[in-house]
Amino acid sequence: MIEARGLTRRYGEMTAVHDVSFSVADGEILGLLGPNGAGKTTTIRMITGFLPPSEGRVTLAGEDLFADPIKARRALGYLPENVALYTEMRVEEYLRYRAKLAGLGRGQTQRALDDAIDACLLDGVRFQIIGTLSKGYRQRVGLAATILHGPQVLVLDEPTVGLDPKQIIAIRELIRDLGRERTLLLSTHILPEVEQLCDRVVIIDRGRLVAEGTPAELAKETREHRVVSVTVKAEGESTEKAARVFGDLGMHLDVDAERPGRFQLRAEGGGQDPRERIFQAAVEHGLILLELGEKRVSLEDVFVRLTTGQGAPTSDVVPDEAQDSAADEAQDKPEGDS
Amino acid sequence: MRSFFAVFSRELRAYFVSPLAWVILTALLLIQGYFFSLIISALSDPNTVAGATPFSHFFGFFWISLLFITPAITMRLIAEERRSGTIESLMTAPISEVEVVLAKFFAALTFYGFLWLPTVAYPVLVGRHTDVDWGPVASGYLGTLLIGALALAVGLFGSSFTKNQIVAAVTTFGLLMVLFALPWAGDLTQDETIGKVFSYMDLIVHMDEFSKGIIDSRRLVYYLTTTALFLFLTTRALAAKKWR
Repeated sequence: MIEARGLTRRYGEMTAVHDVSFSVADGEILGLLGPNGAGKTTTIRMITGFLPPSEGRVTLAGEDLFADPIKARRALGYLPENVALYTEMRVEEYLRYRAKLAGLGRGQTQRALDDAIDACLLDGVRFQIIGTLSKGYRQRVGLAATILHGPQVLVLDEPTVGLDPKQIIAIRELIRDLGRERTLLLSTHILPEVEQLCDRVVIIDRGRLVAEGTPAELAKETREHRVVSVTVKAEGESTEKAARVFGDLGMHLDVDAERPGRFQLRAEGGGQDPRERIFQAAVEHGLILLELGEKRVSLEDVFVRLTTGQGAPTSDVVPDEAQDSAADEAQDKPEGDS
Repeated sequence: MRSFFAVFSRELRAYFVSPLAWVILTALLLIQGYFFSLIISALSDPNTVAGATPFSHFFGFFWISLLFITPAITMRLIAEERRSGTIESLMTAPISEVEVVLAKFFAALTFYGFLWLPTVAYPVLVGRHTDVDWGPVASGYLGTLLIGALALAVGLFGSSFTKNQIVAAVTTFGLLMVLFALPWAGDLTQDETIGKVFSYMDLIVHMDEFSKGIIDSRRLVYYLTTTALFLFLTTRALAAKKWR
């Protein structure tokens, strides 16, 4: 169980995180989303006790993080964003060190070690020096060190970055297993990963919590409008004509200036499939349709909509560049997903 | 306690796998060996005024080299954790700041002791040819240990608020020079009380006493409290995690 109440972090005049509250139940995987600079890492650092909040409280597995930090941290497994390891150590040696640091006894260590090495597919590099490992292996060593002592609460900051597709599937499988009994907070940029793994999602933008719900709930909110992309054959005046015709349909029209003949239409409200009306209008006016498809509303759309200011509460917390970077990032193709 | 030993043994091992440690050890042994041979040959000269032993010379002055050596021993301790980011895993583990600082300090002190270990051969060698007064030798080592502990605590503090090992080493060296030079500042002041306070902090006087077999409790108090003060400051620097 993770409980964060009213977390606020100020750096001088700047407020990096403002009044963020949420909780993660046992057996639940919560996804923490947000563009770069939104305050995700600051939030995670406050939850793990690395950074003291200016205001607010954190409870991990029932222990108040600031009243009894040692006891609370005993229940915590934390994988930081840039997995940092002691490069001069060997894999097994490092894991032994982390087990001891977490307070495991000699007797428990061997089993915990073997289990973590199995779970994170590290058997082949057990005795290799960490400095010689690839990024993907280091990521998995970090993950093994995080789960080693069987913590009830897991906080993983971008756990699948730098892994190849096969490893990603294995690690996601592992995360799903871990999430069944434990409390898991997962921060990630990869939206399909959130859709696959998370029971619930929290979106943070410019230091504030802007949305919370299951991936389906969030997507439904956006499904109120249906987005259709249309391509007509571009010859002569057909693009201008199509813009006129589609403009009369009473839907929101976006024209793709780069590619003549391409449009995006957004119909407010559910109801009748807008594709029918578009098709009929095109036939009536002799436009040749090359493409007519409804865009699936994904979490990505929700994310973009919420973090680019549309519908999100405006705040003056972070300067305007944040908006641009939010849009840029959300449009980035998710990497390494199959 | 388990966490303490986890950090202690990791740090100690890290010394022995780093080339710097062996460079320090080699340099120190060369310096000490050279000066010890000078001392022996000087004392063997019948014209030398009687009254000194090789060890009062040895412990009385050659600890000076540790002003240069301790910054190199301690610069890595916390600065490197900050640079690489491993500090995040360390400080979110169930271990207190005090334990982390003490574990790192005692690892450095153990390594420092290891650096001096080979010099035990000197009194043993001398003892095969003439009588050795072991009391002053022991107090000389005690003084070396105390002054080393202070310098290492200063070094740990110097390493605690930067990501850069060079900055850590230079800060440490600067602080050590201030500690070393305080009695001269005392000579310059007109105020008698301040001058007296500063003269109590004369490391050269302290070590001269230790090398002659004098163990003055005021010196013990000075070293133990100053060491504790710098260790405490280090825990504060570590707790204030806002710099990163």
